[in-house]
Amino acid sequence: MTETLRHPILHALAVAACVAVCLGGCGRGGEYPDGPLVLVCPWSAGGGTDRLARQVAAQLEGELGVPVNVVNATGGAGVTGHTRGAMARPDGHTFTIMTAELSMLHWRGLTNITYRDYEPLMLINRDDAALFVKSDAPWQSIGDVKEAIQRDPRGLKASGTAQGGIWHVALAGWLVAEDLDASDVIWVSINGAAPSLQELMAGGVDMVCCSLPEAQALLDAGEIRCLGLMGAERLPTYPDIPTFREQGIDWCLGTWRGLGVPVGVPEARKARLTEAIRRVVESDEYLEFTRQAGFNPAAEGPAEFGQALAALDEQFGAILTTDAFKSVQTSRFGPMVFPGVLSGLLAATVIALLATRGAKGPAAARIDGRGMARMAMVIAWVALYVAFAEHAGFMLTAGVLLFVLLWQLEVRWYVALSVAAVVAAVVYQVFAVYLRVPLPWGTWWSG
Amino acid sequence: MSEVVLEAVGDVLGSVQIWAVVVCCAAYGIFMGAVPGLTATMAVALFIPLAYWLDPLPALAAIVTMEACAIFAGDIPNALLRIPGTPASAAYADDAYAFTRRGEPERPLGVCLLFSATGGLLGALMLILVGHQLAKVAVLFSVAEYFWLYLLGLSCAVIVARGSVLRAVFGLLLGLLLSTVGLSAVHTQARFTFGQAELYQGINFIPAMIGLFGVSEVLRNLVTFDAPTAGEKGRKVSRAGTGLFRRCVYEPVASVVGPAASLLRRRTPHVIRSGAIGALVGMLPGAGADIGAWVSLAVSKRFSKRPEEYGQGSLEGIGDASAANSSALAATWIPALVFGIPGDSITAIVIGVLLMKNIRPGPEIFEKQTALIYSIYVVFILANLVLIPIGLLAIKLGGFVVRIPKKVLLPIILLFCVVGAYAINGSYFDVWIVLGMGLLGFGLERWGVPLGPVVLGIILGGPLEERFIQTLTGSDGSFAAFFNRPLAAALGGVCMALWISTATLALRRKKTDQA
Repeated sequence: MTETLRHPILHALAVAACVAVCLGGCGRGGEYPDGPLVLVCPWSAGGGTDRLARQVAAQLEGELGVPVNVVNATGGAGVTGHTRGAMARPDGHTFTIMTAELSMLHWRGLTNITYRDYEPLMLINRDDAALFVKSDAPWQSIGDVKEAIQRDPRGLKASGTAQGGIWHVALAGWLVAEDLDASDVIWVSINGAAPSLQELMAGGVDMVCCSLPEAQALLDAGEIRCLGLMGAERLPTYPDIPTFREQGIDWCLGTWRGLGVPVGVPEARKARLTEAIRRVVESDEYLEFTRQAGFNPAAEGPAEFGQALAALDEQFGAILTTDAFKSVQTSRFGPMVFPGVLSGLLAATVIALLATRGAKGPAAARIDGRGMARMAMVIAWVALYVAFAEHAGFMLTAGVLLFVLLWQLEVRWYVALSVAAVVAAVVYQVFAVYLRVPLPWGTWWSG
Repeated sequence: MSEVVLEAVGDVLGSVQIWAVVVCCAAYGIFMGAVPGLTATMAVALFIPLAYWLDPLPALAAIVTMEACAIFAGDIPNALLRIPGTPASAAYADDAYAFTRRGEPERPLGVCLLFSATGGLLGALMLILVGHQLAKVAVLFSVAEYFWLYLLGLSCAVIVARGSVLRAVFGLLLGLLLSTVGLSAVHTQARFTFGQAELYQGINFIPAMIGLFGVSEVLRNLVTFDAPTAGEKGRKVSRAGTGLFRRCVYEPVASVVGPAASLLRRRTPHVIRSGAIGALVGMLPGAGADIGAWVSLAVSKRFSKRPEEYGQGSLEGIGDASAANSSALAATWIPALVFGIPGDSITAIVIGVLLMKNIRPGPEIFEKQTALIYSIYVVFILANLVLIPIGLLAIKLGGFVVRIPKKVLLPIILLFCVVGAYAINGSYFDVWIVLGMGLLGFGLERWGVPLGPVVLGIILGGPLEERFIQTLTGSDGSFAAFFNRPLAAALGGVCMALWISTATLALRRKKTDQA
């Protein structure tokens, strides 16, 4: 096999084929959208937001005729994704599925990104908070729970999301509305509704506050009971569940999801995208999907959505900046407890290693000058990739860098050239086209 | 009852559509699992828009098959390039790679394949026979129990590591500390981010794993690399006088499957033990295949007659760990089906698909949708059987990779590490993580620190801290909360016993070394 690889003609053919494929892809720069769109999702694959994003993306592909790729930019309680979406190039090729956290993160000092960094396109879903207890719990109504809290402040535990998350705000806000202290119920900070419900089942917490679709399976199975919905009216799918308002306490709060683009996208492109999204969220297919998945569908256009965002921001600001809520947020076991313990243990380990004369490692080959140069080369290689990929595009950057590295390792130049060309082209085809990884096409080539 | 079972078997095996879906998804799952940076979760998420057009059974069959095949496929780059395709493979990265360095990459892969399939079948059996009962146990686990369980998994990483226990502990603590970078999940407060917005997401464990294992190996090769060396020569086997079938089908298959099958026969009780451990750990939401593999490997080492082989090429360890991680996979479906509580991100998607098809997971599903449930069971068995021929093909194709001369291969691996890291989150920051972790891994290995505990520390650091703080918050600050539930006390006791025995063993070994 290696013998055949030595024919220069074969290599010339391979390079020519790859160049032809690349040139074939260059006929872009037509009418918007002229390339794949990226839908940034701040939450992980498989969650509610992700499911909604993927449904919208799949249907948008049909409407726009270009691939719509969902990218899960997760982490940082939503900071990562919302920041990435707001900072994206405003060319209409990147849009974001924003969630209620957008109205909360900046009030808690976690980011500078607010709803003003986005231009709203469409509000696509609203879900109200609801309060759940185990089926064998003694409480039958919101009033029963309130009494129990009054009788024994800090005796009950609740969860549903992390400290300061949307469902925590919902519960604390209700307590304040009932003239109780926001810290009268201990909030156990558990990330996500599913593990919180697991904790409810295991008896670790007494109640869970989350949206109805998140708890649907356990609710239908009769394992848990819903005491009330923090919405304006009952849900058509669960007409038996009363609202908080019906039980005599005027308290509404819920989460929302909507689509937006970074500020500065040309009007015409925004209008085209909004139009396509409207057709999607009003389609029977989408409505059927939301009904079955338990999402409460909505379709509020840019103007309405913008007003809603401003109102929500104010509402959350009012709750999150009150003293009552700030006091709940400070935890006795602060963020430095765990790293502190670890550092102590690490120091002890190092001391023990030194004391037992175990600090000297196994005999490793000395790195000579050439080895050092090679290491520096790898670092420079990665740095150059990061610096150029976005502008020159993946194929050119990867191809050139591969060629240089191969050549440095004394691979014959024509072998290096063809390996670089073939690998770069194949990787682009597989990752970017089939697997929807948004490998950059390059800003130098498209407007 | 038996009628329903027969009907389900007929439904699945008699349907051309299911066969087509299973075979296609097996190939797709193998590919996604084998490319570092692409995960089973991503494979399934990409498939969701398609699932809308399929009936419930083919849609679920596709997910089951992808999952089962992807977790095995994670072993392929693990053995060939020392880049674990999935975190569950990281437990035996050094073991499997040791064989490739000796020029026999097919031996560990054959073992991985057969033991994965067997483990998968065992997990499916657990799901079928005792799934209902196990689900009741799973919901007994509160945060305190999880704290001990994660600590148990971490301790196992120290036990299975080769060489000095102190160095392994050092690696583990380093990994745990790295996991605290970013927004603390339980406090939602930024830590060690130095005002960098990108550091909020913390150190994602997949790029960290690719860097620690893959890039550090590329660096090691490059630094000690003397160009131009001849590529490893494939062994020439005399093939005169054999028939075409024998030469092209029988011999390649037998060379992979034969030794592995005889190992499987010899170690039947061990495999059953590993499968049981995998399933028990896997059924706990949030524990899953990674911890299953480490715990099973630690148990395997503790009871092995040749514990010194672990970490430098132990087929027993590879087999036990890969059986456990595959068996854990089926078990994650237990709480998902019975209570609608997803054990991992894939079962979260499964619940989504079920809801999309108007099927509500929960205890009723077993009464109302009996046919579907039995069909899912049959699919689990089918998927693990289909894995064997397709996995074999993948092993043979993977064999070509090692034949490429090193000077051509190394740059390509480096590119794949970079693209794989980028693919996870579409972030250049992860590319830097890969590089940083590569340099760290290179340094640590030279200093004799095993990398397995570092990776597990990064993976479990976040959840461990969460459970620690949650338990303390729930008890209003009393440490008694870690012991005042019977199950928590029992798990805590196991953990303590493990540490004491490990410490005494290490001390005794030191004494005999000095004597």
